[in-house]
Amino acid sequence: MTTEFVALEGKTRGYRFLTAVLAVIAVAGFVSFIISYLQGHQLFGSNNVIPWGMPIVLTIYLIGLSAGSLILSSLTYVFGREKYRPIARMAVFLAIVLIFGAMLSIAIDLGRPEKFWRLFMFFYMNNMKSMFAINGILYGGYFIISLIYLGIIFSGSQRASRITGIIAVGWAVLVHMGTGAIFGFIAAREAWFSPVKPLEFLAAALTSGVALLIVAVTLTLVLSGRELKKDVVASLGRLLTYFIVILLILIIVDKLTHLYSPHREATLYMLTGQYSWMFWGLQIGLGVIIPLAILLTPKFNKKIGWVVAAAVSVVIGVFFERYYLVIPGAAYPQHYYPGKIEGVWGATGSFALTPAEMVLSVGIIAFLVFIFIMGLKYLELLPPREPAKEAVKEGEEEAEPADNTTDIGEGQQGNDEK
Amino acid sequence: MARWGMVIDLSKCTGCQSCSVACKAENNVPHGSPEEHEKRQTPFWHKVIAVSSGEYPTVRIDLIPMPCMHCDDAPCVTVCPAKATYRREDGIVIQDFRRCIGCKYCIVACPYGARSFNYKEPDEEEYQRPDPPSERADRGIWPFPHRIHGVVEKCTFCFHRIDEAVKEGKKVGEEVVPACAEACPAHAIYFGDLDDAGSQVSRLLASRQWLRLREEMGTSPKVFYLTR
Repeated sequence: MTTEFVALEGKTRGYRFLTAVLAVIAVAGFVSFIISYLQGHQLFGSNNVIPWGMPIVLTIYLIGLSAGSLILSSLTYVFGREKYRPIARMAVFLAIVLIFGAMLSIAIDLGRPEKFWRLFMFFYMNNMKSMFAINGILYGGYFIISLIYLGIIFSGSQRASRITGIIAVGWAVLVHMGTGAIFGFIAAREAWFSPVKPLEFLAAALTSGVALLIVAVTLTLVLSGRELKKDVVASLGRLLTYFIVILLILIIVDKLTHLYSPHREATLYMLTGQYSWMFWGLQIGLGVIIPLAILLTPKFNKKIGWVVAAAVSVVIGVFFERYYLVIPGAAYPQHYYPGKIEGVWGATGSFALTPAEMVLSVGIIAFLVFIFIMGLKYLELLPPREPAKEAVKEGEEEAEPADNTTDIGEGQQGNDEK
Repeated sequence: MARWGMVIDLSKCTGCQSCSVACKAENNVPHGSPEEHEKRQTPFWHKVIAVSSGEYPTVRIDLIPMPCMHCDDAPCVTVCPAKATYRREDGIVIQDFRRCIGCKYCIVACPYGARSFNYKEPDEEEYQRPDPPSERADRGIWPFPHRIHGVVEKCTFCFHRIDEAVKEGKKVGEEVVPACAEACPAHAIYFGDLDDAGSQVSRLLASRQWLRLREEMGTSPKVFYLTR
């Protein structure tokens, strides 16, 4: 029943090259952070109308990916679906890397990042009515619980990993709904203020999490020359379809609620304003319509290539959903007084993506991928490679350790669904 | 305990911006540059907005001076994770720079756009008063002669003036008022204790029709506007 897991050897040219490139980008991001720390947030595109920029977009996006990925691992460890066992460890590790990235992004977005510890002085220096303070508990706890969860999975105890799995998944749901509440509870911003936001965030988390897992698993397995089971990808694709439909329903409900009441200017701006191409083209087009079209076509939804294409489209689409919420969502001017506010005080907010912000964001992502492939090398996360599949090796990233004498016969590749 | 509030007479306001300038001078708020203002990265504790309604030939312009509303139920106080912004017992909503971590959640939550973030370390010449007089040194957390970037700041109802007046037994609202009220050439801004039925602000509110901005937010602001 149990699947053996192995680590990558990480000695090929491709792996080393990739590590070096990622490290360089991450260092560039770090340098950019130091400069922005010394110079202030004037280097970013955010301003007093649109106070949050790329780091917050990244934060909520990464949290979504993380929670989705962790919830998927529960399919194996909580619900006992053996089909997903070969990728379950990778899913948990990915979740840890991503939540780490999310916390990193929050710290970077703070004006005084050296005071981040104040977020964790719960009940003593914190105002516990703030959604940020509550989310501090949720994120910190989530990080610790996921680490324990991974540790227990490594120890191999079925029962213990089941119990921690249940806790971790429940906590992941809370994490994501809490993140949605950061936005949904703010009455001053019409486009955000909605009781549906926590659920919408949860749905977006599951959608993007499954999608990223499909992409990450396929890339890792194919590049390291392992066999990728077609039915695993296809069933993940089916799961993705359900999540996209739920997400679509929640988006529609959210927008309709706002459109129905007379307070509809901000939502109309979101749907028809200056940046609405982002909503229709990227969030709805890439995030919903294209993947649904692929995944609902019987000819395509069994083929790995097409499912991965749909997943990539979702990963990009959900990223722009976050972007659209945080940046253009805050741009619509507030009506302090009935009438048209003249001049700069009533102007729609503008946001310019600055080089510092872009380098920073790309740097964070590169750093996370770096940690992820380092984890593949030093932790036993991957299913062993089947000797017969030697030919699949693409050689760009990784070759399999020869010294890893795992009993392939015993390591059922998770295909035995009971 | 008093509950400080402000009454602004819109029928007197001419939109001269004296209040905004006086606020910048009194609180040493960096003046920034036109480019930064265009990008909306300059700090403003006080602003005057012009609101037009109707179409030519029946246009109406309302000039609304907007300090911080010092809401009794302030959304910024609710969302601040670090207790950096809090409501004092006398109703003034204070921002403590030393606690602020710069998460900008309060800017997001404020329905009045009263809050500004310090986007940069201001240059020396951007201050009205690079070296505040030394007798200011004993006035609590004010003044901040030199700002650090990365924290949020906002109007304080000139609490340093009020605190000193209370300590010295002067009458707040008559002898001592915030800088904007003091500077207003039209005497359109009144300041005083809302709980004291005999104060000038209470008498004005009892005798004139007034409004508060964005009542639908339920924040119960303490800045009242006497209608034209």
